[in-house]
Amino acid sequence: MIAAILPTISPGTLLATGVAASAASLFLLLPRGRTGTAERASRWIGGLVGMAALAAFMALGHRLGSPGEDAVFLTVALVAVVSGAATVVSRSPVYAAIWFAMSLAGVSGVLLVLGGQFLGVATIVVYAGAILVMFLFVLMLAQPAGLAPYDRVSSEPLLAAVAGAVLLGILSLSIGRLTTEPPACCLTPATKATLLANSAADAAATDPGRVDLLAENHVARLGGELFGRHLLAVEVAGVLLLVALVGSIAIVARGGADDESADARRAIP
Amino acid sequence: MNAVPPSALVLDGLVVGAMLFALGLVGILARRNMIVMFLCAELMLQGISVTLVSWSRHHGDWGGHVLVILVLTVAACEAAVALVFVLQAFARTGRLDAAAWQSLREANLPRTVDRELPAIDTVPPRFPKLTPAGVEPAADEDALLEREQV
Amino acid sequence: MNELTPQTLLVLVPLLPLVGAVLTVALGRLLGRHAHLPAMAAIAAAFVVAGMLLAGVVKEVGDHAGHGAPAHAVEMTTTLWQWAGVPDAAAAGEADPAARSFSVPITLRLDPLTACLLVIITGVGLLVAVYSIGYMHGDPGYPRFFALVSAFVFSMSMLVAASNFLLVYVFWEAVGACSYLLIGFWFAKPEAAQAAKKAFLVNRVGDFGLAVATFLIWMTYGTLDFDRVFAATPAAGLVPTAICLLLLLAACGKSAQLPLHVWLPDAMEGPTPASSLIHAATMVTAGVYLVARSAPMFVACPGALTLVSIVGATTALVAALIGTVQNDLKRVLAYSTISQLGYMFASLGTGTLLGFTAAIFHLVTHAFFKALLFMGAGSVMHSMGGVIDMRRFGGLRRVMPITAATFLVGALALAGVAPFAGFFSKDEILAALHSRGWPDAHGEHHDAVPEGGHAAAANPFILASVTPDAAQLAGGSRGSALDGLDRPATWRLLYWMSLATAALTAFYTFRAVFMTFTGPTRVPEEAGHHAHESPPSMTIPLAILAVLSAVSGWWLFKDHVLASFLAATPSFTVPAVAATATAPAFHWDIAVQGTLAALAGIVVAALGHLGRRSDGPQMERFLGPLETLFANRFFIDQIYSAAIVRPLELLAGLAAAIDRYVVDGLVDAVARLPLGIGAVVRHLQSGLVQRYALAGVIGVLLIVLALVARAMG
Repeated sequence: MIAAILPTISPGTLLATGVAASAASLFLLLPRGRTGTAERASRWIGGLVGMAALAAFMALGHRLGSPGEDAVFLTVALVAVVSGAATVVSRSPVYAAIWFAMSLAGVSGVLLVLGGQFLGVATIVVYAGAILVMFLFVLMLAQPAGLAPYDRVSSEPLLAAVAGAVLLGILSLSIGRLTTEPPACCLTPATKATLLANSAADAAATDPGRVDLLAENHVARLGGELFGRHLLAVEVAGVLLLVALVGSIAIVARGGADDESADARRAIP
Repeated sequence: MNAVPPSALVLDGLVVGAMLFALGLVGILARRNMIVMFLCAELMLQGISVTLVSWSRHHGDWGGHVLVILVLTVAACEAAVALVFVLQAFARTGRLDAAAWQSLREANLPRTVDRELPAIDTVPPRFPKLTPAGVEPAADEDALLEREQV
Repeated sequence: MNELTPQTLLVLVPLLPLVGAVLTVALGRLLGRHAHLPAMAAIAAAFVVAGMLLAGVVKEVGDHAGHGAPAHAVEMTTTLWQWAGVPDAAAAGEADPAARSFSVPITLRLDPLTACLLVIITGVGLLVAVYSIGYMHGDPGYPRFFALVSAFVFSMSMLVAASNFLLVYVFWEAVGACSYLLIGFWFAKPEAAQAAKKAFLVNRVGDFGLAVATFLIWMTYGTLDFDRVFAATPAAGLVPTAICLLLLLAACGKSAQLPLHVWLPDAMEGPTPASSLIHAATMVTAGVYLVARSAPMFVACPGALTLVSIVGATTALVAALIGTVQNDLKRVLAYSTISQLGYMFASLGTGTLLGFTAAIFHLVTHAFFKALLFMGAGSVMHSMGGVIDMRRFGGLRRVMPITAATFLVGALALAGVAPFAGFFSKDEILAALHSRGWPDAHGEHHDAVPEGGHAAAANPFILASVTPDAAQLAGGSRGSALDGLDRPATWRLLYWMSLATAALTAFYTFRAVFMTFTGPTRVPEEAGHHAHESPPSMTIPLAILAVLSAVSGWWLFKDHVLASFLAATPSFTVPAVAATATAPAFHWDIAVQGTLAALAGIVVAALGHLGRRSDGPQMERFLGPLETLFANRFFIDQIYSAAIVRPLELLAGLAAAIDRYVVDGLVDAVARLPLGIGAVVRHLQSGLVQRYALAGVIGVLLIVLALVARAMG
């Protein structure tokens, strides 16, 4: 469909457009201390440009083989990315946290599609269930009423947006070079048919050293791997958790004011 | 190790991971609220997780999954410690502003101070309220519990 | 363990004071007011050793001396180690001096001249050290003083014992350094610091001469060793003349001869014992020693020799004239020292054996009586609470009889009154000059005229001739315009100048004596109520020196003891010098002239000052405008100031301005560049962590972009 609309656009141009649009969109969406119409216009234009950027990246993506698969992946990926962007640009930290939870749901979906069944669930449980709640608790403790001034401005929004977009561009470029397969925008019907034919094979199953992660007892085998080969890492992780726990308590217990805090407090408007 | 090119799914997964990572980076660099900054750090970790699982899929290896589990652990630790720090910082300054801490600056250089922001003229958002069940609570108590904005 | 061989003893003479100096430095604080002990013991031991050496040399000379036979050179050297050795740079042979092997052995030598001077140096050094115990008592720099005196005795011993020009140069500088440190001993006093600086700078001019002379000697003769240089010397010409003139310049600097004499009067800012030892008895005679040691070279260049005499006699006269109007007791003595050194130079310049030995004779007696006079002046100064202006005290013979008596002996010796020491040595100098001015009168004293060009060089008959071919014969010093000076008329003038100087010497010496010790007794208020005779540690050296000043002249003159002893010095046994030997004689005519001159001076001084108040009208009022000239020291300091110091100061000011505005400007400009960059860049250091993170991310992105660009080709 997209290929039909934009048949003549080369992947390079598309990528450049995507990068430029992401930078512009993020810059417009980030809080910059504006109010009223300017703020609203900025958000709208930023949103539209962001959509354009997403479209460009979608066009750069690859076909997965079947339209259903495409649709599922696209949905969860869009949820993850759009919610992530909303996390970044939300004025209110509470909204940001909620958007982050949304993004986690998308990520969980992506992980599921990619074959990480356990991880998809674990992400939801650990992040949304534990970490995010902790964030919200902290917000309740610390967030003043109304939008704080520092939530309405950003530090160097333009440079940050450009840096992020350029990073995305570099990564996409590198990922694009991993394959000889043309991106979605440049698929010809012939190659499309070939792809559909051997998509079921997925990653060449001919390699004997490979494990089929999607085979039965996925979680059991992951557990076996985790407590077999990676037992030491698990133990270390356990110790790390303990240390973090003790450290947190120690820091809270000590507290106290010093010169640094005096300097910082002086700056409170 | 493997001469086989990645499948389309792996490639798309990688792009999604890169996007999440870049978004998180932008947030870390631009947002001033320390909690939002940590949210963005978590977003970056999500991007990493997606990338790791993608490569795991490509190589048919458990390493990526195991690593993501470890990343989850570390993220939990980091969140715990970092949030304690944030709370301490808040206790000292009364704000969650990352720019409140400027002591590292060059001597004789003035503090970087935000420009004066105009008052918000937008209508405060109205949040949905739960329908009271049972006995209707007193209005005063309701006002006490309810926060104007978040 | 070796016996005490002469070699060992010779090494001990300088070594002991060096050890003394080091010990004083190391233990000075610990010893406190006994800090003089190591230095004094070391110098005393060195004196004993030097005495033993002298006795040995005297015996050696006696063994070789046959009456009428030419003196046999007595010499002994000992090489301690090879200081620097460079083998032949190439097989270029002797043609190219730069390619010759170069070696500097640390060689000490012993011969009559050295032995004689070693005894003087250590002897006077010992007396000065004893004297200083009283004089320097209670000074905060007490240990420092003795360390310096000891170091000086070491340096001076090495200077006279060194056996090559490079070593001489090293210790020439070393005594200069000791002199500098002792003049500036009270460095907190601006005048003393100034005087030390002046002495050092003026001496540099002379040192430069010695350095260049050393280079030239090396380039010409290919060696620096005394014996080998003197053996090779007869090759006369422009370069040897230049070497002689440069050596003369060096001697002028160290011995305060015109035109480099200006530092010595100012050097009186130092402690009086140091003045006595260094600026009267020993160090200032280094120039005399150098010229005497280089006698074979000078004899080959008659023009240079004549110049030595002219410089000496002129200095003697000028310094004596200035001395007549000085009111500062130490300055009178300082000008007297310059004047007497001038005598020695005049004597050296005659180029005869008599002249050389007379100069050393005068050096010896002068060391005794001038050290005595200085110590007497120091004693007066000590008693008068630091006052040295003769107009402020008088009649001190009642207050300090021992000082007065010994001072009088010294004054008689200086004035050249028979039979005191100065009479005999001065008489010999006058005789040496007379022999050149009136060669006919002395002709019968000469031995048979020796053959050969070198002997002829010193023969007044041939030198007197002004025909060019004769001059060619005489020294082969082609193109040396100086040789024209060498004619009897010059020598006669020099003789009369010296005679006039003798009269003036007597005058100013006794003027000082009369002003200080006769007339009504007056003491300045600085002396307080304790104007008294000095302690024994000061008067005993005075007495010893007084005895020496009284008798040493006759004792050394009798039978020409010293002259025949010194004649065995290798420098004086070269044919050109030895040939000028004369039979020992006492010239009654010259002695009478000299005595008359001295008596005339004393009588005039007595007329003007005997028994009068020293602050009354002075005799200078009869001099008229000349008084201004003398009192201002012939305006030499002012001339130097205008001709040398001012232009140099202007140049220095210019250089300073260039340094400050051009060089510093450039440096500042370079410094401002990073400052400017810093002023811009420092705003990046905002303390905001997010900006730092942004900078880090941008840096990483740049690196990754570069890598990707490379990977893309």
